[in-house]
Amino acid sequence: MKERTFSTFELILLALFAALVVVAKIALRTPIQMPGHTGLFWMAVVVVGAGVVPKLGAASLIGLTSGILAGFLGMGDFGALNTFLSYTAVGVGTDLALLLLRDPENLIAAPLAAPLGHTAKFLVKWVLSAATGAPAGFVALGLARALIGYVVFGALGGLLGALTLRGLRAAGFFAYLSEKR
Amino acid sequence: MNQNKRILLAVLILVLVGGAILGLEVLRRQRVTPADLKPGSIPIYVDGEMEAAFTPEDLASLKEVSFQDAEEGKSQTGWMLQDVLRVHLSEDTLTPETSITVISTSREKSADLTWNEVEDAENMVMFDVSGRGTLKLVSKMEKLDTRDEWVQDTDRIEVASP
Repeated sequence: MKERTFSTFELILLALFAALVVVAKIALRTPIQMPGHTGLFWMAVVVVGAGVVPKLGAASLIGLTSGILAGFLGMGDFGALNTFLSYTAVGVGTDLALLLLRDPENLIAAPLAAPLGHTAKFLVKWVLSAATGAPAGFVALGLARALIGYVVFGALGGLLGALTLRGLRAAGFFAYLSEKR
Repeated sequence: MNQNKRILLAVLILVLVGGAILGLEVLRRQRVTPADLKPGSIPIYVDGEMEAAFTPEDLASLKEVSFQDAEEGKSQTGWMLQDVLRVHLSEDTLTPETSITVISTSREKSADLTWNEVEDAENMVMFDVSGRGTLKLVSKMEKLDTRDEWVQDTDRIEVASP
């Protein structure tokens, strides 16, 4: 029977991936000024995490942990609660998408699952802004442009994640991991 | 269900979620904007009276500027507040001691500045467009150089004579 709970080793791995999400957000910079461009890095990390620990809830745990870390580090322009919920949404969204699409190593499934996870973050941010009575966007198509950015960079992040997983498998990382488990 | 159907379903979900957000935002945009203003525009009040509104059309005549914020090293790109005010207000209204307050009603935040501070190009008092398309007031000034101090979701500018 397939183990449904996480081992301590898997939890440590997921915590490391969560830390990597926060580090990627802080340290990695691109000259691209489009909203959602950081999804290129962190969706790759979330997809790799979900592939390394192939259990339902792995991406959610990465999202939740990185949300707590980012919230305490004061990241984001809209407060700790917004940061925490949006990071968590990335994980939950990716998990739900992978529940449907299954294999995060698949070069079609991963670039589709990742934008779904990334769009979940966008959805949370939009709901929170609407709930707090934020004004209408100054730039009429600003929200559409942001959404496109989230989808495109999420997909690229997912593709990068799937390629990384394939690279790790080719390098024998999964065989090494199964010994450690 | 085979993988092709799963992929198709995922694409459909993505399109539906995106469409729902954009559709609801169009409705919200009409609801949250006062009847006498264009959606998204920012009213400018002078001594309590609405004098003008800063609209997206104004951007065409404004020069885009940018700087890297000290807190996270991110590039902030947008339009100087002094240029925005000059489009709508006469030079007589703007004396060095004129008080300018940039307000976000939803976030209950504001920044109190003088025209002297706004006019100083070194201070880089400017509006940057946030990820969701609203304006945030950012600056290199010490009292306005962190995310806590910035005024996100700006929806009102008040100008008061000294």
